[in-house]
This record gives sequence, C-alpha cells and structure tokens, in this order.
Amino acid sequence: MGPTLIRSLGLVLTVAYGSLIVWTYANQPRTVAEMTGGITASVGAYRIDQPSYQDGLRYFHADRFLEARSAFARADPAKQDATTQFYIAYSFLREGWGRVYSDPALLQQARATLEHAIEVAPGGRINVADPNLTLTTSDELRAEIARGLTHDASDMNPFKVFRRRP
Amino acid sequence: MASTPTGPLSPLPPLPPLTPVPPLLETSAMSATIERVRRGRIIRESITLPLIFLTVSFGGGLRVAAASRHLVFLPPSLMALVLALLLLGALVRSGTLVPEALLRPDRPPLANASGLIVVITLFVAAAQVFNTTTPESGLLQFIVNLFFLLLLWNTVAAQPDRRRMIASLIVILGGAFVVKYVVLGALYDPAGGLTKRVLMTMLEGVTLGGLTYESPAPITGYVAFFTVLLFLIGVTLLPARAAGPDPGDR
Repeated sequence: MGPTLIRSLGLVLTVAYGSLIVWTYANQPRTVAEMTGGITASVGAYRIDQPSYQDGLRYFHADRFLEARSAFARADPAKQDATTQFYIAYSFLREGWGRVYSDPALLQQARATLEHAIEVAPGGRINVADPNLTLTTSDELRAEIARGLTHDASDMNPFKVFRRRP
Repeated sequence: MASTPTGPLSPLPPLPPLTPVPPLLETSAMSATIERVRRGRIIRESITLPLIFLTVSFGGGLRVAAASRHLVFLPPSLMALVLALLLLGALVRSGTLVPEALLRPDRPPLANASGLIVVITLFVAAAQVFNTTTPESGLLQFIVNLFFLLLLWNTVAAQPDRRRMIASLIVILGGAFVVKYVVLGALYDPAGGLTKRVLMTMLEGVTLGGLTYESPAPITGYVAFFTVLLFLIGVTLLPARAAGPDPGDR
C-alpha cells in the first residue's frame, strides 16, 4: 500500500469518525439504543419493530394509552421514527385532553414528543394516513396541543363541553 | 660478503573470487527496513494517532448519570480549551511534539493534511482529557482548573525534556483523576462505602460544608481511566525531537 493510499484512507477514516463524534455531541443520545438508532437512521438503515408497532396501534385505538406508549417505545427504542413518535404525542394529547379541564403535564409531554418527532421527520412534516385520527398532520396536532395549553376567556364557554375529541 | 641467491619469482596464489552478493543483500535489507520504518511512521501519523485522539475526544466528554443511567456528552469548557493550548505549548517546548515533522512547506499537501489533523485532534483530545478530570461545576471545578493552570505554567517554565514532560503529564492527569473519581467519588457517594468511611475518619472534624459535587455513575470513572491512558499513549507516539524531520518524507 503506497503512502498516498494510506494517507487517503486515514483521512477518510478520520472524517467519518469525527463526524460520528460531532453527531453524538450535537444530538445528545441518552441511551446506547438511541445512539445506535440515530446512527443507523442517519444512513437510512433504521427500522422499527413492526409487531410492537401494531400492538401500539391496537392499544391506541382502544384508548389504552399507557399500554400504547409502552408498545410504541418498544417498537422505536431510538426514537427515530417520526410516525411512531407522532402516535406517542397523540396518546399524550388524548389522555390529557378533557371536555372541562386538560392536564397541562400530559400536554407538555405531548408537545415535547411532537417537537422531537418533527425534528426526526424528513422535511420536518408528518402526515399520517389513519382514518381513525381527527388530526392527521403534525401542524394540526401542534395547534391542538397549543390550544389545550392556552387559558383564556373562551375556557368559560359552557358549550366547550360539546366539542369533539381530537 | 655473501649475497642472497635470487631465483625466479614464484607466481602468486590465485585470489579468491569476489563475492558482490552480500553487500547488495545488505543494501536491499537496509532499504527494506527504511521503507518499513517510513511506512510505519506514515500509518502512525495518518491512522493511529488521529483515531487515538478522536477516541479520547469521544470518551472525555462521556458521563453516565448516577440516578437515571442516561448518557451525557459534555463538550469541553472554555477553560479546558485554554489548558489544552497551554499543554500543546508545553509539548512543543519539551520536544514531545515537533510541529515541523507534521507540517512543512516541502511536504505534499496530503501529508500536511494528515499532520494538521494530528495537531487538531491532539488539541481536542487534550481539552477533553481536562474536561474528564475536572469536576463539572462549582468551587471544586475552579480549584482543579487553577491546579492545572499552575502546574502547566510551571512545566512550561521548567522546559523539561520529553521523558520528564511525559512523566509530569502522568502525574498531573493521574493526580486529577484520583482526586475526582476516587476521592471525591467516594466522599460524595450517596451509598457510602469503606473508602468514604476511611476518608471521613482521616478528615475527622472536617465537614464538606457548602462544597457541592454530583458523583457520576461508577462506569464514568472506568471510561475516564481508559481515556486518560489512551491519551498518554497517544502523546508518547507523537513525532518527538529525537526522531526529527525525515528528509525523505513523502
């Protein structure tokens, strides 16, 4: 192997390894699963666990949100799949939403999860083709969460109890 | 007067045939050795040193939170960057690092790029080594940073040779590692332990007062140990003054 080839190989290795380190420090993965998942997602090789995802969907549509989140977390341990994260955010919204009162802690969790989902989504936009959902895009979900976290005079409107669940 | 009788000269015995092969063999063996050494130096400069220093840069900021077991990656603080610069100066002055061996106008651009990468990765690795051996915040961080600053300043002023510089570095980093991960780790261990009891007995009458320190998970100490060790190995592999620049450098 000639000197030029050795130096070129070293340069490629250094750039690749350095990029990986910069990515890790910039994204701050909290677990080894998040780190490996993030790296595989960056090269387009990340896949979620489909059986767990289907379990999550089933629980979600049955309004069993804790079970749904547990299954979705198992399906997407690296939190790199935008659709799965969208469903997790949606489950927080549905659990925290109320006709009279919304739980701000759950809505805050919904907001944080949705913001992360938007970060990892290609193009920063999520569109889920699920006829059982009232809100099918990340923009609609974000707006609904914001409305739930906002307190104004319309909260006193008694007809608010008749509004449709998101 | 007697004279020595002189007869016809006897012919000289035939000379043994010249054997030109051994010198040629020696020359080719020498050139093969030189080539092997040169290739080893190129591999060390282009692959080994950057990978060592990048690994140190990665491990130097890694912490594992004791409570949640979550990974945290801390970039170097500004003070760590200043200390790294001071350490680079000390390495150059002591001849532990010879910049001319890595960056010279008569080297090809690719070779200079490799040399520049070694210097940059060494700087980042040095900053991360100070990052990992310094407490993350509070008065203890200030005290350890001051300790590093004075020791490095003293080292630069003393102008040690390469051997003493490396020995000094082992003492500085080893001491800081022991203080942070062994002494402070034991003192602030919420579960207590034998080391804590021994230390508290030795420091009888002394309280920690307002000194705050968040002890990381034990695995952080192991990562830090191997990070510091790897950094010291990397420093010993740097092109030193004794080696000097190679005129046949490619």
